[in-house]
Amino acid sequence: MIEITEKDFSLEEMVRMAKSNDVGAIVTFLGTVRDDEIRSMELEAYNDVARMELEAIAHEAQSRFHLKSVNIVHRVGRLDVGDNIVAIVVSAAHRDEAFMGCRHIIEELKARALIWKKEIGSSGERWVEHE
Amino acid sequence: MMVKVRAFASFREILGREKEIDMRPGSTVSDLLFELARTNRGFKDAAFDDCGRLKDYVLLMKNKKRIDPLQDLTVELTEGDEIAVFPPVAGG
Repeated sequence: MIEITEKDFSLEEMVRMAKSNDVGAIVTFLGTVRDDEIRSMELEAYNDVARMELEAIAHEAQSRFHLKSVNIVHRVGRLDVGDNIVAIVVSAAHRDEAFMGCRHIIEELKARALIWKKEIGSSGERWVEHE
Repeated sequence: MMVKVRAFASFREILGREKEIDMRPGSTVSDLLFELARTNRGFKDAAFDDCGRLKDYVLLMKNKKRIDPLQDLTVELTEGDEIAVFPPVAGG
């Protein structure tokens, strides 16, 4: 499942979907809105292109790290401090592959997916630049 | 001929989310960018440096494929093309 949505998601449900008899390790990454003296955050995506890029990243990771499954949900719209931004759930036979695959996916997502975020604070707004 | 321009993030705030622009047949991606700059001072200041060169910060797609600003700006547009303008990404 690769999804870009305004709706919140259930990490538990994503983990449940990742389980199967040949899976021995599930690694999750959950990105949330941090209080960097901001009130909220606004996320936007070039939806269909971003989804295609996430699918490409998932396929690459799946073959490179022998993952059994990859699920990614990225939210867009207005989010408050503490809200979920992105969830990545990967499953593999062994933990090394799952850890490496999950790490690879979030780093590639940050570098490649056509998604932008603006921090909104009491003193103003600013578009975040990729670190 | 009509060409669609889609803008994201800081460029959406300057240009609007989506617009159609009437360009002369034979126009290039570069012509479109200069037309946007001619009609929108905010875009000119955000996208071009003092020498009139496109800033590195401006990223482009034509029909959902990345454009190399060093090579592809002279590519001719055709009716219905979709050009996307956006800054570097920052998701996650």
